[in-house]
Amino acid sequence: MSEQLNENILTLKGLKVQFRVGRRLVKAVNGVDLNVRRGKTLGLVGESGCGKSVTAHAIMRLLPKAGFIPEGEVTYYSNEGTVDILKHNPKGKTLRDLRGRQISMIFQDPLASLNPVYRIGDQIVENIRQHNRVPKEAAMKRTVEMLKQLSIPQAEKRVLDYPHQFSGGMKQRVMIAMGLINDPELLIADEPTTALDVTIQAQILELMQDLQKKLGFTIIIITHNMGIVADMADDIAVMYMGKIVEFGSKREIFLNPAHPYTKALLKSVPVLGSGSNSRLEPIRGNTPDPSEMPEGCTFAPRCDFAMDICKTDPPNFDVGGGHMSRCWLCKGGNGQ
Amino acid sequence: MLKYFFQRMLLLIPMVIVISLLAFIGLELTPGDPLTAMLSPDQMSSMTTEELDAMRESLGLNDPMLIRYGRWVINLLKGDLGISVMSGSPIKDIIKNLLPATIILTMVALVVSTLIGLILGIFAAIKQNSIVDYLSSVLGVLGISIPQFFIGILAILFFAVRLQWFPAQGRTDIGLNFWQSLKYLVLPSFSLGITLTAALMRHTRNSMLDVLNKDYVKTARAKGLPEWKVYTFHVFRNAMMPISVMILLRLPMLIGGAVVIEQVFGYAGIGNRLLTAINASDYQLVLIIILLLSIVALFASVLIDLFTAVLDPRVRLGSSKNQGGA
Amino acid sequence: MAETAAVMEQRKPKKSSLAKRNTERFLRNKLAVMGLLIVLFVVVLCLIAPLLTDYDPAKISLSERIQAPSSTHLFGTDKIGRDVFARVLYGGRMSILIGLSGAIGGMILGVIIGSFCGLYGGWLDSFFVKVAELVSSIPQLLLVLVLVAIVGQSMRNLIFVFIFTGWIATFRLVRGRFFSLREESFVEASRAFGISNVSIAFRHILPNCLGPVVVQLTLNTAGFILQEAALSFIGLGVPSSVPTWGNIMDAAKEIMVISNYPWLWVFPGVAIALFVLGVNFFGDGLRDVFDPNQM
Repeated sequence: MSEQLNENILTLKGLKVQFRVGRRLVKAVNGVDLNVRRGKTLGLVGESGCGKSVTAHAIMRLLPKAGFIPEGEVTYYSNEGTVDILKHNPKGKTLRDLRGRQISMIFQDPLASLNPVYRIGDQIVENIRQHNRVPKEAAMKRTVEMLKQLSIPQAEKRVLDYPHQFSGGMKQRVMIAMGLINDPELLIADEPTTALDVTIQAQILELMQDLQKKLGFTIIIITHNMGIVADMADDIAVMYMGKIVEFGSKREIFLNPAHPYTKALLKSVPVLGSGSNSRLEPIRGNTPDPSEMPEGCTFAPRCDFAMDICKTDPPNFDVGGGHMSRCWLCKGGNGQ
Repeated sequence: MLKYFFQRMLLLIPMVIVISLLAFIGLELTPGDPLTAMLSPDQMSSMTTEELDAMRESLGLNDPMLIRYGRWVINLLKGDLGISVMSGSPIKDIIKNLLPATIILTMVALVVSTLIGLILGIFAAIKQNSIVDYLSSVLGVLGISIPQFFIGILAILFFAVRLQWFPAQGRTDIGLNFWQSLKYLVLPSFSLGITLTAALMRHTRNSMLDVLNKDYVKTARAKGLPEWKVYTFHVFRNAMMPISVMILLRLPMLIGGAVVIEQVFGYAGIGNRLLTAINASDYQLVLIIILLLSIVALFASVLIDLFTAVLDPRVRLGSSKNQGGA
Repeated sequence: MAETAAVMEQRKPKKSSLAKRNTERFLRNKLAVMGLLIVLFVVVLCLIAPLLTDYDPAKISLSERIQAPSSTHLFGTDKIGRDVFARVLYGGRMSILIGLSGAIGGMILGVIIGSFCGLYGGWLDSFFVKVAELVSSIPQLLLVLVLVAIVGQSMRNLIFVFIFTGWIATFRLVRGRFFSLREESFVEASRAFGISNVSIAFRHILPNCLGPVVVQLTLNTAGFILQEAALSFIGLGVPSSVPTWGNIMDAAKEIMVISNYPWLWVFPGVAIALFVLGVNFFGDGLRDVFDPNQM
């Protein structure tokens, strides 16, 4: 990585994603601005259905058929040049060349993510050979090495096995190996440990962090678990109803949360060593139906501090030091 | 793989035994006696009861059922299928002459309708919710709703009587004149296969759409694979698995349908002969034909099963094998 | 639990919101509604046959042999002067009766054996699984053919044969549902409260099978009507004295009839195709309502 490269590896500007469901239009992502710092880990947190996963799929241009991007800008700054991701055909050469080589993504359910009818070695080799002209044997050798790096025992033998012969945690390791095999610059992990046992979760996350130190890629980790971002992330973006409501460094978000939603989120989950009060409080009310979005601040109906002004959409306020919050409470600078 | 094949084949043996026993018992219960079919009423009335009994005795018709079944199985294994009481000719010859024709008819119908059904189904899935998709779904239901023999009759009227493209009735041996025999095959196999084509088309479409929603297809795209590779290697192969199961389930129907279609087209096959044999209460022949057709169906199902196993390692290796913890 | 309650609700005369939503979903499916209308149309026509035609389907009139369709004989007459229109209508009664009662009988048998095996398991269960495997591996038409040959040709026997071969799909369905629901918490909870197996089966598990079983019923009805037609056509179904759609088409075994007297076979053929098409559209629609994931 040379010095003149942009500090950010990925920037999103006003990204919107919508879905056509029957005759209805569901606005899943509603204008997301985001900067992902190179070599760091960004945690994208929020409740299920807030649009965090859709945002990730939009970056990869892997939205389902019903989904489309009416406006926005996604720019990827690689060492090979800058790519305006939304300007290209999602199935076209440019983006296909990017996917799997420069940007990799791993999904929530490792069981469903691996094709049941192919040996796992072949599935990883497929990714190598899609982007590099190497003989099959060499590709297989690299695969075995990578699986060893992910502490898969007897990797030479296991490459010949099929997905159903692996446990959940092992499958996710295979997925990570597949994602990292082409030495990508950006790894998007969409709830990578949600489907796994708690004890295995920690192992997988630790592995990802170790490999990041070794290989220097950037991670976007998508999760609803504040504990995971506390562990992994450098920066945190909190998403609610298709918008980033708060963005800041991990320290800022945990010690000095500005948005009432973030505060509620922190109170609702136990975070080890975060020093927050031990009593857990659930967030009042339910997330509204994305097809019937409330006017103004979308969190207002559930917010303890809702005011009249919340009927109008709050802009992004700088709370200080790049810490941004979309809440009228933050208008005068500091949130509290 | 070979082990799996032998396992499947071994499972066939008890099935074949039970089917043969059931067929034997069943036909024992049919009204009518081979003697009545063998002799004309005049001959019957001119013979005394003793003479008839003696004749039954000499044919072994008076022995206990289980003995007759046992004797029949032993003869069968020796390759002696017995004599058709109706025609007086050895059943072996009848089978040798007619079974291949029926198998050819069924195979042609199977292969052609599988190909067409798959192609149309894939097309409908790729063009989901388009007019093509809508039209093919209507045609699909239509195809499984029209009786095969009605299609056969319509085909005779249009393609044989009116257009005179193909012969309406009969069959030529494939060894005698290849092109001629093909001409005789077109209409019967088309009528026989149309239900399977329609059913496969519907099933392929749904199966493809199902697989397209799977995460591993997303993984394949996330690797940057071009769409044709995504479809060929990741979608199609997985979609084929439920489809081959469906072909398996439909196969007995196809063989049963052949009996009717042979009747419509006067196609000299084993099914046609089966009907004459039933009407003449020619036990031995009926028994052997049913047994053979069932065995053909069972064998074909094993073949398709093997195909599924080739496609799906979970079937081949057993899915409970979960090695190595996390 | 919610699902069970919902299915139970459906059976109450008062329309619950789920029943309403299901009805709406069904009505939105144009092909399914069309299918239901076709089925009703054909059934009503067959039932009011005496109002539509004065001809007796069995009355032979040698002076009116093989007449083309006309205003006196809407669908023409057959080789012995019987009115084809009357025969198609009255034959429809028989064909539908055979198909429907075979399917319903098979459904009842399948539900009974299926719930029995699902509840108690054991050797009886493995026995019936084997029987089902065996029966379904023999070409069904051959099986029906042999059975008809054994028990003799009559309408009642044909229905019995259909019941005998038609229980398997329902059996597998119900049994599978029992096995998967047995472990569900609401069933375990009922058991913990000391509620008997039988009442668990009736109150909790069977209502859960209702949808797929009804869909299977439509499939079987369509299948049996087609089979009856095929069997009667080859002369091994219902005795030719009783008019059914298949028996009427029996005439089309001769090329002469096929090419010169199409009214003898086109009308019953179209009647079968139309009715079965309606049943299949209807069944597809029901499946969408009961199990939207499957399509």
